[in-house]
Amino acid sequence: MTGLEKLWQDISGALLRENRWQLYLEGLRNTLVIAALACLIGIVIGLVVALIKYIASTKKSGPWKVAGAICTAYTTVIRGTPIIVQLLILYNLSYFTDGLYASIIGFGINSGAYVAEIFRSGLNSIDIGQREAGRSLGLGQWPTMRLIVLPQAIKNTLPALFNEFIALLKETSVAGYIAVRDLTKVADGIRGRTFNSVPLYLAAALYLIMVAGLAALQKRMEKRLARSDRS
Amino acid sequence: MIEVKDLRKDFGGLHVLQGITERIAQGEKVAVIGPSGSGKSTFLRCLNLLEVPTGGQIWFDGQEITAKGCDIDKVRQRMGMVFQHFNLFPHLTILENITLAPTHLKLQSADQAKEKARELLTRIGLIDKADTYPNMLSGGQKQRVAIVRALAMNPKVMLFDEPTSALDPEMVGEVLDLIREVAEEGMTMVIVTHEMGFAKEVANRVMFMDEGVIVEQNAPAELFGNPQNERLQGFLSKVL
Repeated sequence: MTGLEKLWQDISGALLRENRWQLYLEGLRNTLVIAALACLIGIVIGLVVALIKYIASTKKSGPWKVAGAICTAYTTVIRGTPIIVQLLILYNLSYFTDGLYASIIGFGINSGAYVAEIFRSGLNSIDIGQREAGRSLGLGQWPTMRLIVLPQAIKNTLPALFNEFIALLKETSVAGYIAVRDLTKVADGIRGRTFNSVPLYLAAALYLIMVAGLAALQKRMEKRLARSDRS
Repeated sequence: MIEVKDLRKDFGGLHVLQGITERIAQGEKVAVIGPSGSGKSTFLRCLNLLEVPTGGQIWFDGQEITAKGCDIDKVRQRMGMVFQHFNLFPHLTILENITLAPTHLKLQSADQAKEKARELLTRIGLIDKADTYPNMLSGGQKQRVAIVRALAMNPKVMLFDEPTSALDPEMVGEVLDLIREVAEEGMTMVIVTHEMGFAKEVANRVMFMDEGVIVEQNAPAELFGNPQNERLQGFLSKVL
């Protein structure tokens, strides 16, 4: 048997036999669903937490300070414990009978803590004069934030934000720990049948393609937002 | 137009304003001078509550703006402010910088605001920059845009916080020319400045501040020509 024939046999064994390619698609779908929804949850949580922390830092006392302290506790705990432990805890709470839901929520809450820190540093990177200029024109606190500070902050945080999304996408590969049939779990399962590593190579290639897609999206967005930098 | 009573401001243990009582009438052009750290910028920033006073009261147009429940956003719509560092919005075009507040606050329709902005830009000779971004302008051009951005709100008073301090020397003139024009149109103005010549020429009253109080004030000719207070004499001998 030539090397080429051997390669074809391995690939067809990993992909075609028993319609195994359908399993990859199922795994890919689960991975994408978890990553996309967790990303959305992460953005929402991150934005809210960052704004609360930001506003709390400008106040001296009162309910904002309490809210700020709660947010700090959240980011500290989430960033200070392993994602797998968080997922296992969540999965063992009885309301999550399906690992898929547990992992969407778990990765979302986890990502939120990181995104919050990214947004917070983005907000802090905007000169205080921007806020003062907005307020001095009679714009309220929220319109000033939404129209003036946030657009600039988000532009500044885009590279870090995409880093986080890429990390999140790859991190979903531990979802198998709570019985989710994600891409990694599925590929590892097929490996147990083919007795070679080809399924894992295929999984790696699929992750790489997804990450390349995210990186391309990042490039496009940065280019669009860089209009005001041209001189 | 503006009335200030026993205005105080502390930063931590530092007493930056130590009780200022003052009146500024409609149409007046008041220049505030003094050494750095004397509290002159803080005084100006208290007038539109960018700094919240520790004590005292401020009235604007008959309304006490330091009162609880006063809608400061509404008040600020009638008080233009120009900053030392311009503070243009870098993510918006020059035109959008000017139209943002009037349109968002629904004071003018989008078309009205654009037309007014174009008018103002034509007046300062920057209409060809309308659709570019602030980072393409020189410092002097940025500050002139910042001034017309404030003017686009049709304010009743303009507050200038060291408007030429961050400029290269050759750009100071164009900015002062524009401020002078606005003054000649009858705008009430409070200007914190280091430009003594300009203060002398444009202001009809000059205040000298030191250590958180107004030490001496007078018509410019008097204040510069015949200073009474020792600290003012010392200050003038250094800057003139």
